[in-house]
Amino acid sequence: MKTFEEKWTAWLDDQLSGPELEAFEASLPDLEAARAEKRDAKKLGSFLKRELAAQTLSNEEFFSHQLRERIARETEEDQPRTRSSWWTVPRLVWCGATALALFLLTSIVFLSEEQPAEQSDYLTQILNTRVDSTVNPNATISIFESNKTDNKVTVLWTEGLQSLPADYAAK
Amino acid sequence: MRFKAVLFVSCFALATGMASLHAAHVVWSGLVIAENVPQPAAIPPELTKLEPTLKELFGYNQFEVIGQSNKTLTTGQEDWLANSKYFGLHVDARGESDAGYTLNLKLYKEKDVLLETDANLSRSSPLVIKGPQVGSGQLLLVLVVKEDETARKHRHAEPANPIKSSFNRLRRAVRNIFH
Repeated sequence: MKTFEEKWTAWLDDQLSGPELEAFEASLPDLEAARAEKRDAKKLGSFLKRELAAQTLSNEEFFSHQLRERIARETEEDQPRTRSSWWTVPRLVWCGATALALFLLTSIVFLSEEQPAEQSDYLTQILNTRVDSTVNPNATISIFESNKTDNKVTVLWTEGLQSLPADYAAK
Repeated sequence: MRFKAVLFVSCFALATGMASLHAAHVVWSGLVIAENVPQPAAIPPELTKLEPTLKELFGYNQFEVIGQSNKTLTTGQEDWLANSKYFGLHVDARGESDAGYTLNLKLYKEKDVLLETDANLSRSSPLVIKGPQVGSGQLLLVLVVKEDETARKHRHAEPANPIKSSFNRLRRAVRNIFH
């Protein structure tokens, strides 16, 4: 047995039919006022349906936007921050090219100089000399350079070293 | 990141490779007996350039090598020995400079040190040491810096590379700044 409220709701939703509909409408004290109320209820229903649907879409977008931002923020925090370096590949390439250009420039400057002699002017130097004074008590040492021919020869001249027999000339 | 590392290593290798563009040198060290003989033998090839100087200085007509060593110097820190039957010349290289090589020389008679000297051996100036009298002759110690044979052949086969020459001059100039 349905209550009045249940029947009223079913009537508003056009769920009553046949003898049940006729019996319910007959039981209403003012049918026209009830129909007006039904129209208003339907209007309100359709209005709410439309408005609530639109609002739901808006919330979805807002939620989605918030979610994306949060994901991005958390991803950023999770990833180790890569240190930015001044030595980027293009800069390295430029540095290399600049160094090469400087080298070539310097080479050209040096090329323009007069070609020096192939051999250096350095002479061999005797820093110090020792002889065993117990074996060679009268030994003397002198140093000189010989430039008599093209060869610049440094000579360490010893005198008074102990003479040795000819056998010592063996190979 | 790996690419940068490779690039850096390549540049470094190129730079150090350029820095090593110089010829190796060979130090010829010889024990020579100089004496006067009726029919002198031909002078050894290592002494050909020095022949006039040796003859004029010592007054002998024959120079015979009784012991010798050819040592290629790469680091300038090598040591070596030129031996005859009774004599030994120990050479200890103690560094290289523009002036040549710093050497410590010890002349041994068997186990006795007859003479010890420290010298800066120039690449362009041989060193001759008058040793003891041996019989009727004279023992001489001769040290000559020669250019490495392969480098010499290369230089003779091709004209001097102007870029390499200028680089060497640059290297010397930079060294002079720091020395």
